[in-house]
Amino acid sequence: MKANIFSFLQNKKISRKDFLKFSFKTVLSFIAANALFKFFLPKAYASAGRPKRSIKGSYDLVVAKGSDPYLSTIKAVAAIGGMSRFVKKGDTVVVKPNIGWDRTPEQAGNTNPMVVAALVELCYKAGAKRVNVFDLPCNDARRCYATSGIEAAAKEKGAYVYFADKWNTLEAGFTYKSPMQGWPILRDAVECDTFINVPILKHHGLTGLTLSMKNLMGVCGGNRGSMHGDIGVKLADVADFIKPELTVIDAHRVLLRNGPTGGDLADVETRNTVIVGTDFVLADAYAAQFMGYDPMAITYIKEAAGRNLGSADIAGANITNIVV
Amino acid sequence: MRKLIAARRLSQAFFLSLFIYILWSTTYPLKGFFHPSLFFLFDPLIMIFTSLSERIVLPGLLFSFSMLVLTIILGRFFCGWICPMGTMVDMAGLPRRKSRGKRQHKKLRWVKFYLLAAFFVLALAGFQAAWFLDPVVAAARFVSLNLIPAVTSGIDAIFVSLIKTLRLYGPVYDFYRGLKSTILGINVYYFAHSPVIFLFFALIMSLTFIFSRFWCRALCPLGALYALAARFSLLRRYVTDCSQCGKCRADCRMGAINSDFSYDASECILCMDCVYGCPSKATLFRIGHPGGEAGKGGVDRRQFLLLLSSSFLLLQGFKFKNIRANASSKVIRPPAALPEADFVDRCVRCGNCMKVCITNGLQPCVFEAGAEGIWTPRLVPEIGYCEYSCTLCGNTCPTGAIKKVNLIEKHDARLGLAVIDQTLCLPWAHQQQCIVCQEHCPVAQKAIGLYEENVNGMVLHKPYIDPELCVGCGICQNKCPVRPVRAVIVKPL
Repeated sequence: MKANIFSFLQNKKISRKDFLKFSFKTVLSFIAANALFKFFLPKAYASAGRPKRSIKGSYDLVVAKGSDPYLSTIKAVAAIGGMSRFVKKGDTVVVKPNIGWDRTPEQAGNTNPMVVAALVELCYKAGAKRVNVFDLPCNDARRCYATSGIEAAAKEKGAYVYFADKWNTLEAGFTYKSPMQGWPILRDAVECDTFINVPILKHHGLTGLTLSMKNLMGVCGGNRGSMHGDIGVKLADVADFIKPELTVIDAHRVLLRNGPTGGDLADVETRNTVIVGTDFVLADAYAAQFMGYDPMAITYIKEAAGRNLGSADIAGANITNIVV
Repeated sequence: MRKLIAARRLSQAFFLSLFIYILWSTTYPLKGFFHPSLFFLFDPLIMIFTSLSERIVLPGLLFSFSMLVLTIILGRFFCGWICPMGTMVDMAGLPRRKSRGKRQHKKLRWVKFYLLAAFFVLALAGFQAAWFLDPVVAAARFVSLNLIPAVTSGIDAIFVSLIKTLRLYGPVYDFYRGLKSTILGINVYYFAHSPVIFLFFALIMSLTFIFSRFWCRALCPLGALYALAARFSLLRRYVTDCSQCGKCRADCRMGAINSDFSYDASECILCMDCVYGCPSKATLFRIGHPGGEAGKGGVDRRQFLLLLSSSFLLLQGFKFKNIRANASSKVIRPPAALPEADFVDRCVRCGNCMKVCITNGLQPCVFEAGAEGIWTPRLVPEIGYCEYSCTLCGNTCPTGAIKKVNLIEKHDARLGLAVIDQTLCLPWAHQQQCIVCQEHCPVAQKAIGLYEENVNGMVLHKPYIDPELCVGCGICQNKCPVRPVRAVIVKPL
């Protein structure tokens, strides 16, 4: 009689022949299953990035001044034409603040939590189905989310605040030659209806200032350190890949020195400003000028303006100032 | 009715679950119901021997002494009812329940007393070696560095492959993210040399196949300590109407019942098997000393003194403490760790600091810190850096080998000093732009400065270390994009 191959489970003796047969069959079936699995596995594909939507605001840029970041943001977005221009009913929205560092809002290392909270609230009021808030921080993500105050503030307004997974990425594909070709980009940042980029204005050792395009580094996976060589071209490519519909630059507390981490309150200056625009190049250029920098001296602004990803012509732009 | 056995199993299951729960919650933000060092505070072997060798009074002594007092009343209840290692040894022995040791292996019992005496003498001389065979520590190391990482990474891998293959980016992904931010933890932890730690644990478990509770009977120094106290235990086993059938003797997992059916109180762990196994229902435990009925067993005073004096010989093989007193560490120790020689003695290798380390940077040594530093923690910046505002490791250390610090002290705590290798660094050696180390430096005034230089019409920022400011946290080494060897490396102080 043929021995049951599972006889060893019943505490019976198993012959050497049966043992070898069983082992062989098991290994073989594992190999077969693995091959089959790989065959049907969806292949990684290069994504073409987010589609261009070219939504225009009432103004090219709104600059709101006021000591209440929450109120300033609400008024500034209203002035540019309201959130309903950018967010339609049932949309999935990404609000991407800078949550890069384990720093408190006073230390100005991360976006002001109340700016993020205001944007989340406006998105839901405009009918968004879901608002995702995430970043790939440089310090421990849990500490950054908690210390920055963004997790608590955004969650209170109903946003999904979660830790981005480095495995959940798409490969960036470009129609032109790019050093970022094939770079892993967070899937959630690409597969959304509206992308709102919410950086904080602060000092940076290499680029001079960290602005909206630099903030998009937070949706890149991979060895991000190696992006710093030729950073201007790379950031312009990432910005062209993501094409944020709305850029909101938080300049309430501004880090003047020792950025992008900061830590010393003496390096922080209160500027009580929020800059809202649809053209990320213009927003960055204005913010640079606002800080007393020559926009064209900042590599990524120069690169992006040169490639017509946006306009750095501040004098020719339709800019309105409001006081809250 | 096997009430007492059910109660014992319940208690074992409860304390093993509690043990795993405590270690599971030994992670950021450290908000479990119990302090991570709870089990170690109640471990007299660790607390007494560490206090003795370091000439200090650990607060845990109070709890440990209460355990010894309870043992004098009840006997070795800890071994049978609480000890997580004992429970796991029992579980490992389940497949071979039928063939429990018919023999008592009385001679092997002595080994644990020899070990205890050796550890005691070493502690007197200033060396804390008891950690090496302490069961609570060995169990904690296994749970923290093997079991939990394996389980969490297993669950994580299953979810990731399911989500990726079946494209379940909807509610399943949300559930997975919820799981990760609550019980699973957002990082999958990895520990170098974890196979070595597992083999040590597996060896203890596999000894059970020689005879039941081999570890507890023959080797466990904590068991030996409790055995010394249990000799005098007030709770005693009585047999009222013995038919001399020998069933209890054959069934006893500790081999505690002698050929004349008396028993050794120092070996009995109160598992209660003999109470319910007895065919004539003649066995019971009650408080009160029998008049010479129970055998003495264990060690008597003269034997113990002999053991003690002979163990002094062991000292000859060890170098003395003052030789190492000024030795600096070969590895990067956790922030606010004691000076190297004290640290190696004080550390009991429980693995709490490595389990709790927020970046997974604290890793067990094998021989990197010398043979005496085995399984002590060291920071491996390639795996994880020391988070500037994190004070978790000092908070979990049961013996104070890593000091408990506040945020201000932590920011001043130095682990090492970063050194830039100008032959590897991108701006220095290859004229490429890179300021990654400088931008990540968490010191407010930046311990990494930049020389600005014009090279071929391009501004290059060449980093340099300010030794006055550098705390040696290792984030520069961790984030340095140069591979395979990083261009900035933290050297131990």
